[in-house]
Amino acid sequence: MCGIAGILYKDGATPRALGSDLITMLDGCQHRGPDSTGFALYHEGTEHDRLRLRFFVGEGEEASSTLARIKEKMSEFGAEVIEEELIGSTARVIVRFDGDLQAFAYAMEHVAKVVSIGSRLDIVKDIGGAHDVDDNYHIAEFKGSHGIGHVRLATESDVTPDASHPFWATGFADIAIVHNGQITNYWKMRRRLEKRGFEFNTDNDSELIAVYLADKLAQDHTLSEALESSIDDLDGTFSFLVSTQDEIGYAKDRLAAKPMVMYEDGDLVAIASEEVSLNRLFPGEALATSEPTPGTYRTWQRST
Amino acid sequence: MATVDLASLSVREANERIREFAEAGEDVDVLNPDARHHIGVGLVRPITLRIHGSAGYFCGGLTDGPRVEVDANVGWGLADNMLSGSMVVRGNASAIAGVAIRGPDVVVHGNIGSRAGQVMKEGTLLAGGNASFMAGYMMYGGRLVICGDSGEQLGQDMTGGTIYVGGRIQSLGTDAMLTDLDREDADELAEFLDRYEIPFTGSFQKIVNAGKQLRYARSEPRVRVIPFFEASEVTNYWNEKVQEDVSIKAQLGRYRIRGYGAARPLAHLSDLAFKQDLSMVPPDPGAVDRVELSTSLGGRFGATPIELSMPVMIAPMSYGALSKSTKIALAKASALSDICDNTGEGGLSDEVRAAAKRIVFQCLGGRLGWNIHDMRRADGIEIYISQGAKPGLGGQLMAKKVTPEIARIRGIPANIDLRSPSRHPDVLGADDLVIKVEEFREATGYEKPISVKLGAGRVKDDIKIAYKDGFDYTCLDGLQGSTGAASSEVLEFVGIPTLSAIVEGLDALEEIEATGMPIVLMGGIKDGLDTAKAIALGAHAVAMGTSAIIAGGCIACLQCHVGQCVVGIATQDPEHEKRYQIDPEALNIHRFLESVRWQLASILNAHNYANVYELSRADLVALTREAAEITRLPYAPEYRDAPQRLQVATG
Repeated sequence: MCGIAGILYKDGATPRALGSDLITMLDGCQHRGPDSTGFALYHEGTEHDRLRLRFFVGEGEEASSTLARIKEKMSEFGAEVIEEELIGSTARVIVRFDGDLQAFAYAMEHVAKVVSIGSRLDIVKDIGGAHDVDDNYHIAEFKGSHGIGHVRLATESDVTPDASHPFWATGFADIAIVHNGQITNYWKMRRRLEKRGFEFNTDNDSELIAVYLADKLAQDHTLSEALESSIDDLDGTFSFLVSTQDEIGYAKDRLAAKPMVMYEDGDLVAIASEEVSLNRLFPGEALATSEPTPGTYRTWQRST
Repeated sequence: MATVDLASLSVREANERIREFAEAGEDVDVLNPDARHHIGVGLVRPITLRIHGSAGYFCGGLTDGPRVEVDANVGWGLADNMLSGSMVVRGNASAIAGVAIRGPDVVVHGNIGSRAGQVMKEGTLLAGGNASFMAGYMMYGGRLVICGDSGEQLGQDMTGGTIYVGGRIQSLGTDAMLTDLDREDADELAEFLDRYEIPFTGSFQKIVNAGKQLRYARSEPRVRVIPFFEASEVTNYWNEKVQEDVSIKAQLGRYRIRGYGAARPLAHLSDLAFKQDLSMVPPDPGAVDRVELSTSLGGRFGATPIELSMPVMIAPMSYGALSKSTKIALAKASALSDICDNTGEGGLSDEVRAAAKRIVFQCLGGRLGWNIHDMRRADGIEIYISQGAKPGLGGQLMAKKVTPEIARIRGIPANIDLRSPSRHPDVLGADDLVIKVEEFREATGYEKPISVKLGAGRVKDDIKIAYKDGFDYTCLDGLQGSTGAASSEVLEFVGIPTLSAIVEGLDALEEIEATGMPIVLMGGIKDGLDTAKAIALGAHAVAMGTSAIIAGGCIACLQCHVGQCVVGIATQDPEHEKRYQIDPEALNIHRFLESVRWQLASILNAHNYANVYELSRADLVALTREAAEITRLPYAPEYRDAPQRLQVATG
């Protein structure tokens, strides 16, 4: 139960005001989900052997001791910590690592709650509205080429930072998802993926979509192909946005029970649950928006 | 010409100004709308409202008479329940454009989203472009014109009205069929297209209801059924009741339909007892004067609360299921006892409005009888999500009861077996619901309490949503609640018992530290003792339906659905309704309500409490292990023989 938003500036060469644009869009649909807000942002210019990790570590003493455990496990994997910071209820760590990412990621998950892992991806999510999260994590300062975001009204699980969205595709770098809806064949799909060795850290259906898509990408499918098959494989009502290192995409179920509106011009593409979020980016203008039709998907890639 | 600029005003402020200008007969230009929701909601004057940009959800919704023009696009629920006037959108409209309209012209130059014209009743909805899937879903009447292509399942479950498509039709829905376009249709369409300057040169295909599913193939047999509650688990397995059930299904070839609620034994308030010996309270006519029973509901967000002389309401029951005479008697009784009535489905008649001192107007998914004027003259607005007797299912009103008058009020064809929609067109999740609630507040100037009625199912999740979506109070309806017609299997086996419902509901609110959203409990509340127990458990008030009906002459034959009610309650047949004497029955119901008041007062006196909300869980014990499990009250079988009956005061 929520609102989603995503934006991609087509010219990826010049970083743009990604953070503040996403804040604006999410604030525009905050009525759809006042409980928590989250952002999946992509950093620029990361070296190939660097990994960014963000963990929920709590605060104070708990944060320090969790971070110590994380670093201990990192050293077991030969990951060299280059940068670390405790911020809000999270720890942000940058390491030099080029081993088996999946094994490393699962090991990290077993020590602490991972928010995201990627060479460029950084997910920031916490309870409160878009501006509350910005106050604690300085999202507005973030410059980048693309990202997605989510406002959540908690219905079936608690109002906690880790139940917030976006979700990272557990075990896979740089893939994030925001989803509005409900996947009804969740357990069936999850068991299939678990049989193949994938791990899940929540019972949230958004995590499932992320892992599902990441698995397809790992099998050398394009994002478009992954989205196309998701519409057949997933049951239920869904409108979701997915982001990778340099793409964003959407998929919408055949029942179209969950709203989605998009705006595209030569400069950018912006997608949101409601037009009001898009219009916030262009105050006073009447936008030529369109609504993805039921059972469709599409992707956009930034230029480099 | 007046101007309202949304760059500097909130939608609420803007709508207030628009209404003021409208009262003065002035047209209004809305600047910088920026796709915001609820613009122009609640307008009932024939002014022109020009929206210079895009509008969000429910643009021009709950209106009667205005001419609205939108330069660009609109969100979900365009012209929701508009009664008359016109709506012209230059761009595209999102899902459920023209939902539940009852007469206006709604013209969208671009495309329309899915489920356009859902439950529309009268008027014209036109798309210059294409329509997404399920256009005309459950439409009851009116005209839906699609100049471009139509998506899948066009006219799904339509019962009336006509659809015209200029382009390709992907597929037709259940019970929709193509028919010939005659000259008159073509002329009328051409005239409409001309009037709104829609360029269209092709020809239209015409789609109507095929009429194969408007009635059940077989109606309920007119047999003298075994009237009451004997369930197979309780007595011998293949007892008479079971045999009867099998035989009737052998004739019908489907589920049986009956009135009333669950008949099997379930843990209930009667499995709880007060520790205090109530028999020691002498019958005392002065009991009522020594205690405070009055309360109010609905002030959580500054609306005018509904005042109640005691924590009891009349449960929602439709005009349709019940005769108008019965609805009037209930309204009168509620006024005499200074409590609050509820319309149920099927609108608010002048007679009932006049008779009830306070009444809540209920909004159901079919929007049958729903309109802005009655919203305005009600004392509270209630969104029905589901009911305890049949959670997740819509109402059933058999053809016998769908008389021309009932059909006129509801805006549907007469003489159909009406199966009301089980869900709202514009509420597919908690996120949509919050926008719907806001629409109702905008339409009524934030003056009316907005409540939600929930049939007990996933109580914990649902009540949290109710709290977060900003309802003033929640009516929680358990499995023991009754209905005018439902499948007997559903009545018996679908739902959560009232006792579990209240406990789960309160637990959920505590979990999220929610305060200020009272619960009104219903579902098998039969007297003051049940009321007192419900309040001791934590309910703020109760609502009574079946007991009020019985007080007013119902003989509990369970044949409410048939429409031939021998006492004139569950019927629309004038010959049968004649038997119902409004004033004497109103007095009977009133006297019953007063007995509830007296019982409540006596229970308070027995506890030396001055106020009804001094009752608490500490006063209660559970008489059965099951009830103890459900309520976490101490299991105290020794109270089983303790006198719990109160003598009823006379006079």
